[in-house]
Amino acid sequence: MSDPVLRRLPKAALGALIARLGQTHTVRGPRVRDGAIVFGEVEAAEDLPRGWTDAQGPGRYRLEREGEAVFEGYVVGPDSPKRAHFPAREVLYTAERRADGKVGFAPVEATPGRTAWLGVRACDLAAERVRGAVFEAGGEPRPAARGREDLRVAVSCTKPGELCFCASTGTGPRAGEGADLVLTEREDDFLIEAPSEAGKAVLADLPVEPAEEGAEAWLDAAMEAAEGAMGRAVEMDGLPEKLLGRLDHPRWDEVAERCLACGNCTSVCPTCFCSTTESPVAISATGIGTVEGGAVEVGAGEAAQVRLWDSCFTEEHAYMHGGTLRPTVKARYRQWLTHKVGSWVAQFGTSGCVGCGRCIAWCPVGIDLTEEIAALREGEGELALPVLREAPLEDEDLVPSVAEVVGVRRESADVVTLRVKSERLAGFGPGQFTQLSLPGVGEAPISISGEEAGAIEHTIRGVGAVTKALCALEEGDELGVRGPYGRGWPMEALEGAPVVVVAGGIGLAPLRDALRKMVGSPASYPEVHLVYGARTPDDVLYAQEMLGWLGGPHFRLHVTVDRAAPSWRGHIGVVTRLLDEESVPEGARAILCGPEIMMRFTVEALGKLGVPDERIWVTMERHMECATGTCGRCQLGPYFVCRDGPVFRFDQVRALFGQEGF
Amino acid sequence: MGAGSEGSASGAGAKVRLGVFKLASCDGCQLQLLSCEDELLALTEHVEIVSFAEATSRPDDGGPLDLTLVEGSVSTEAQREHLQEVRARSRFLVTIGACATAGGIQALRNGRDVGELLRVVYAQPAYVDTLAESTPVADHVPVDFSLRGCPIDKGQLLELIGALLAGRKPAIRDESVCMECKRSGQVCVMVAKGEACLGPVTHAGCGALCPTFGRGCYGCFGPKEGAQVAALGARFEAEGMDAETRRRRFKLFTGWAPAFREESER
Ligand SMILES: Cc1cc2nc3c(=O)[nH]c(=O)nc-3n(C[C@H](O)[C@H](O)[C@H](O)COP(=O)(O)OP(=O)(O)OC[C@H]3O[C@@H](n4cnc5c(N)ncnc54)[C@H](O)[C@@H]3O)c2cc1C
Ligand code: SF4
Ligand code: SF4
Ligand code: SF4
Ligand code: SF4
Ligand code: FES
Repeated sequence: MSDPVLRRLPKAALGALIARLGQTHTVRGPRVRDGAIVFGEVEAAEDLPRGWTDAQGPGRYRLEREGEAVFEGYVVGPDSPKRAHFPAREVLYTAERRADGKVGFAPVEATPGRTAWLGVRACDLAAERVRGAVFEAGGEPRPAARGREDLRVAVSCTKPGELCFCASTGTGPRAGEGADLVLTEREDDFLIEAPSEAGKAVLADLPVEPAEEGAEAWLDAAMEAAEGAMGRAVEMDGLPEKLLGRLDHPRWDEVAERCLACGNCTSVCPTCFCSTTESPVAISATGIGTVEGGAVEVGAGEAAQVRLWDSCFTEEHAYMHGGTLRPTVKARYRQWLTHKVGSWVAQFGTSGCVGCGRCIAWCPVGIDLTEEIAALREGEGELALPVLREAPLEDEDLVPSVAEVVGVRRESADVVTLRVKSERLAGFGPGQFTQLSLPGVGEAPISISGEEAGAIEHTIRGVGAVTKALCALEEGDELGVRGPYGRGWPMEALEGAPVVVVAGGIGLAPLRDALRKMVGSPASYPEVHLVYGARTPDDVLYAQEMLGWLGGPHFRLHVTVDRAAPSWRGHIGVVTRLLDEESVPEGARAILCGPEIMMRFTVEALGKLGVPDERIWVTMERHMECATGTCGRCQLGPYFVCRDGPVFRFDQVRALFGQEGF
Repeated sequence: MGAGSEGSASGAGAKVRLGVFKLASCDGCQLQLLSCEDELLALTEHVEIVSFAEATSRPDDGGPLDLTLVEGSVSTEAQREHLQEVRARSRFLVTIGACATAGGIQALRNGRDVGELLRVVYAQPAYVDTLAESTPVADHVPVDFSLRGCPIDKGQLLELIGALLAGRKPAIRDESVCMECKRSGQVCVMVAKGEACLGPVTHAGCGALCPTFGRGCYGCFGPKEGAQVAALGARFEAEGMDAETRRRRFKLFTGWAPAFREESER
């Protein structure tokens, strides 16, 4: 990027700019539609909302006639380029499951839009960077691919709106970074500069002249004045720690009385990225009513994987089989704000808020996050959690690979182990998981429970639609797999010390591979205790295999069940009753998997036996869609369970463990 | 969520036996099923229509049903008995539309003196046999899933049938109409025009039909989960609506649903 030089573009030459952009791109700029200024196709200067102004307030937006300005009279509307790069509804891939049990997946390419965005503001450019960081970290190529060939002809705001606060977030009002051309509107002309090569090429064809002497100084002064004219201001410093440390602040209850949990704020926010998926099957060849969005046609009986915008204000956002973790409006508002201006920083290095004010205007009841933040700053408590991010993923386009079922083993009445052949999963580590899918049914995260004879095993309890369909698969059938994902058990950190493995129910599955490794190498793992609780003796998983493990002199087994027939001679009761000096030797390290409530009691019991939080690892479970950190659904405060977990060292999550809505 | 997510209605290969029944209603919802011509044709490969007064003259064989769609609310004793018979032979019972799900527009008479209403409406009230209240199906028999709307949305109906055939959870989210409104890029009529809109408290499914035509949502899909009706009502009043108008806004097609009823009585 070379030194941008200021030029003048006469107002009469705006048409020439649009025409020049139109030679190579579709020009989209501000247009008046249904009482607001949104992005629409612009073919001539007359299409732009010259002489319109937007009066904005909390929950209120009105267009009025005022002045003669082309851009200066208004700021941002409900729309943003997010919709083009990250569509509200898009088909990720099409898929097929034939009657013979075979499956197929065909990716749907994201094609560059070749759009010239005319009149985007500094906050829009910043938002594109913020969104870009999210998808880049997850290796999701589609949003960047769609915008790759776009041009951004930005406008620096000389008249910020009533709800703007980009000066506080450091993202405006001056446009520069990310822009190809930057316009600043004046009474008779625009100042124009070209920060990029593509912009310079456009500029070379325009009837511009050098700006007058003093134009630089005028621009600096105008921008300084604009910074002082922001309708809102927010102190952003320290918000991540303050918000996380004030989860019981009375303000959350107060805002929950007013909030409708409607999701308008997250939908208009140019950085919110949460999504959900659907797996419809087209009933007829047209697929009308089942597969929409994107020009993707599917044949009768074909399936598609559709991604659509979600919001942390929906009940489904935090759904896990059996219910939602965030039933209350309070928990949902708290997720929005603590993420947006708090944990986002730990996740992606910047705040998730670019100060555009959209969420304030388009909240039907006018909830103003700047007021909420100010109120929450008044209070006590700070909590800083360690940042756990790792290197970005590469090329995770979310399309499954075909894998064949080479064996099925029934473990108990509702649990099945599927043995699948898959090169994609090779090289997994103990405790990692896979996304298993069936076209037209859906996807579910399932841990890898081991590998044997070249087949990778998944032990699945049939609870809902996807898991039941997976449990019904037979040898020779095919399914989709993605992965392996996540951070597994810390096998190295466990070496040399006694290890206590505590498992509840199906929670033994993610531990099985680690157990096998430890049982197989007594030199590295001199003493291993498995403390396992099942519902009934019939629900004990891998019983046969466990008997084999008992052959190792360093392995001890402690089993308990919730209820059993009188013939059962083992323990009855909760697992914590089996934790004592014998099963938890001095200097032990512990790894846990089971229902959260069980893990909570286990950690407390371990603490009493002298095992500190730093020597306990737990595996967490949250709603999952992408498994790559891009759908936002598995958040646990600053962490994505799919990437930073599912295994966490307990001291990293203790503060959030058991917190409502986290 | 929850109800209806479990398992497939179709046995492997065998056709799904479908029954469509009507209680007190206008037929509008059943007609949505008939208007899915292309899809209906494809559906007949997988579905056997056992009972559907609007579509077939073949007599009902009275046998068990895999999927049962019930339209309308319960207004008479005969309807209540009929409903119980239908439930007894149904594996998966779905109520379709505002009447069956929330009591419908007929429920507006609820809480009023039925005798008085009858005298006003009918010339010879003695011939009309009616229960004191028009009530949703779920007040009488267990319901596995509810399709909302007045009438229901064709896309959602197909999605439900498709999901049952595939053994997947129907992609019918219990979220606000606003979510659909925003996904489809509508400008909010409440914020930009000051129109009262029930979208923020109403169950999605219509594709934000009313806002797409520049009007506020009437709430015909009924309340969404955890509908914050009082907060929305308060906003209406803060924007200048009088209390009586506010009450009436919550008293339309699904006014008998508890969340809306509460607000219309407040
Ligand atoms: C990291 C991880 C590892 C897991 N390992 C195993 C395992 O080894 N064996 C096993 O039986 N189960 C495991 N689960 C739980 C399993 O993912 C859920 O039981 C499953 O998603 C339920 O899907 P469903 O369609 O059958 O149920 P539904 O209730 O119909 O769920 C619908 C959708 O919601 C999401 N969802 C629902 N419940 C959960 C959940 N508990 N966790 C995450 N997403 C959920 C999924 O996207 C699912 O497709 C694991 C979960 C996680 C997060
Ligand atoms: S949180 Fe609100 S102000 Fe901040 S970027 Fe999102 S919509 Fe704009
Ligand atoms: S969790 Fe974060 S990104 Fe997702 S909708 Fe909420 S605030 Fe937006
Ligand atoms: S803050 Fe406003 S826009 Fe966001 S969910 Fe609550 S009521 Fe809806
Ligand atoms: S028009 Fe109605 S449904 Fe649409 S966003 Fe506004 S309040 Fe919600
Ligand atoms: S962010 Fe999508 S599952 Fe973790």
